[in-house]
Amino acid sequence: MLRTLIASCAFALASTSALGQTTVKIAVLGPMAFVQGENHWMGAEMARDDINKAGGITVGGRKLMVELVRADSNEMTSVPDAASAVERVITRDKADFLIGGFRSEAVLAMQEVAMDHKKLFLGVGAAHDELGIRVEKDYNRYKYWFRVSPTKSTDLGRTVFGVLGAVAGDIRTQFKTETPKVAVLAEKAIWTEGLIAAAQKNLPAMKMEMVGLWQPSAVATDVTAELSAIERAGADIVFTFLSGPVGIVTGRQMGERNMKAVAFGINVEAQKDEFWGAAAGKANFVSTLDTYAEVEITPKTVPWVRAFKERFKKSPTYNAATYDAVMILKEAIEKANSIKSDDLVPVIEKLSYLGNAAVVEFDKRHDPVWGPGKSLGIGVQWQDGKKVAFWPPQVKGMQPFRLPAR
Amino acid sequence: MRYWLRRLWMQLRNEVLVLPSRTLVLVWAIALLLLPWVYADPYVLRIVTLTCLFAIFAASWDLLAGYSGQVNFGHALFFGAGAYASALLSLKLGLSPWLTVWAGTAVATLFGLGAGYLCLRLRGSYLSLATLAFPLIATGLLFAFPGFSGGELGFSGLPRLANSLLGNYYIAVIAMLALVFGLWLIADSKFGLVLHAIRDDELAARASGINTPRYKLAAFALSAFAAGLAGALLAHYMRVTGPFTLETALSFQVVIWGIFGGVATIYGPVAAVFVLYPLTEWFGGFQAFGERRLLFFAVIVLLVLLYMPRGLAPWVRDKIETLCPRCKQRNGAWRTHCRLCSAPLIATDRPRASEPDKG
Repeated sequence: MLRTLIASCAFALASTSALGQTTVKIAVLGPMAFVQGENHWMGAEMARDDINKAGGITVGGRKLMVELVRADSNEMTSVPDAASAVERVITRDKADFLIGGFRSEAVLAMQEVAMDHKKLFLGVGAAHDELGIRVEKDYNRYKYWFRVSPTKSTDLGRTVFGVLGAVAGDIRTQFKTETPKVAVLAEKAIWTEGLIAAAQKNLPAMKMEMVGLWQPSAVATDVTAELSAIERAGADIVFTFLSGPVGIVTGRQMGERNMKAVAFGINVEAQKDEFWGAAAGKANFVSTLDTYAEVEITPKTVPWVRAFKERFKKSPTYNAATYDAVMILKEAIEKANSIKSDDLVPVIEKLSYLGNAAVVEFDKRHDPVWGPGKSLGIGVQWQDGKKVAFWPPQVKGMQPFRLPAR
Repeated sequence: MRYWLRRLWMQLRNEVLVLPSRTLVLVWAIALLLLPWVYADPYVLRIVTLTCLFAIFAASWDLLAGYSGQVNFGHALFFGAGAYASALLSLKLGLSPWLTVWAGTAVATLFGLGAGYLCLRLRGSYLSLATLAFPLIATGLLFAFPGFSGGELGFSGLPRLANSLLGNYYIAVIAMLALVFGLWLIADSKFGLVLHAIRDDELAARASGINTPRYKLAAFALSAFAAGLAGALLAHYMRVTGPFTLETALSFQVVIWGIFGGVATIYGPVAAVFVLYPLTEWFGGFQAFGERRLLFFAVIVLLVLLYMPRGLAPWVRDKIETLCPRCKQRNGAWRTHCRLCSAPLIATDRPRASEPDKG
């Protein structure tokens, strides 16, 4: 009798607390002292404000407001700190869901803590394939992990070679060259090794000639020697894999030398608004993969990018896809009529969400499905001080790719 | 039974409770053991677990740098060696983590012997710079053979030693208490005295017939043993290991802990970790502080070193204990006469309790 009474009281208490919940708490985890974390937060803030202005998230006939918890993961400095930040937001701040993460090595540790607590964690920032492989290998433990953005490393490689093929096509047409010459300029770092190997393998198959490989430091302040050698090799394309400040130096010095070759690849610095000024206005024709631009990747892209720029006075980077992550949660919560992670997993698995830069659908590894019309990425080029998007060409608003005069 | 209990109580009363510093340590150890029963907050238990593992790491550095004077700027090598070796054996061979942790520790000890051997002829800043290079070389090797080492990502999905929060907590706490107490006993023994002698004047120690290379190697091996165990335990607790276990920042972090707490004490660096690690984590919980946690960390360290130049633990000990001018034994600061030789303790130039024994 007493047991029944206690159980009834406990159930009543639990029900009251569930009914009493007026907000959905979403923890935004990222390196907040860095531009990546800043974008995590800005994207999530926009989503929160949009949802709350529209009345919140409907669950069981009630409207719940979105509440964000800003959590500095300190992941650039310390992996244990990143894992502790996850523990803190789950057990202390009582977050219902987690979004963010950037450094793959740290996100692996963060993933462990989230999975221990069976909390839905929508990754925005880390690209390593392993994060999704774990879902496939041990579904029951890792099913609470979904990667919203970017596409996994392997797919990122597929995109970069896709755009390279288009650039080579332009060179073939414009300069009547059958086999464009490609110089690979990759910073000396582990992440570039797979891409270099892929270039060595794929370029001949793509009817391009690889004239050499140059590997400056990610923080090199001068690449004159490399660029001279590339010029002597007669390269048409400088295929870049650069994440550090060397990306700025490369753009500036290519402009100073009036190089005939065009730079395309991954150049993280060239994705930033400040790139043109940092390269002293000399980085004309430098191009790179990117995520957002004022082109109609989806019907939402242009108004969202404009709203982002108006609010924060800068362009979004791919970490601002936390906006989509929050919106995916809203859609899944409303469909499942629940805020329990276990109820949301099957809903998100079947979701097709029209995002700001992609139509997000998830594969069996809970990675975004790659391909045209899904998650793909775009190619952008600096043209006379403006960053313009040029690839994929079928997207409305794309500008033609330009080559240096010969 | 009654006899043993009585004997234990006598030991406790005569050896521990007579000195405030020892009483403090006892209270701290009991508090750690009772914490989950009093305050079972998972976040707090996680932070204390990590603090315990880093405390082992800090104490291991102190044995090498503080006692033998071999200031190691690359101590993360041993931490990383333990973590990687245990992870590799557990993932590739499917061995139980209870076995691989010891195997990882053994590998770290071998690394300690190797590093010690290479540094035998080096002293002072030359030794520090040479040791700084070791984890960098190890990281380079890991990146050179990504198929074997997991490359920049390392290894993930490692089995835990225990599946419960409490289990992992007690493993870390008991390992820390046992290792720190063990290292303190070693440092307080004849072996520690020899290390002191080597640090102060190696030539004089050799002239006295001490086989200094053997002692220096032993200090390296013992220190690497403890650091390797801490690394292996951390890897299995977090279920991941990677190049972060070999980072230069970690090597410098342990130096900061050592100097902040007070070198050549063993308990000093442990106290430093127990103050600084939770404090920086606590800062991280506040939006206003979180993103500036390193700045606050640096300010606190600078202030402590400015006002407590020999470190936190010796400063506290000086405040609560007095050294007898006659028999050089320590006494509670409230005592007017030595508890052993009855010599008067109140003097205008009261000697500090943590001054080295001159008698």
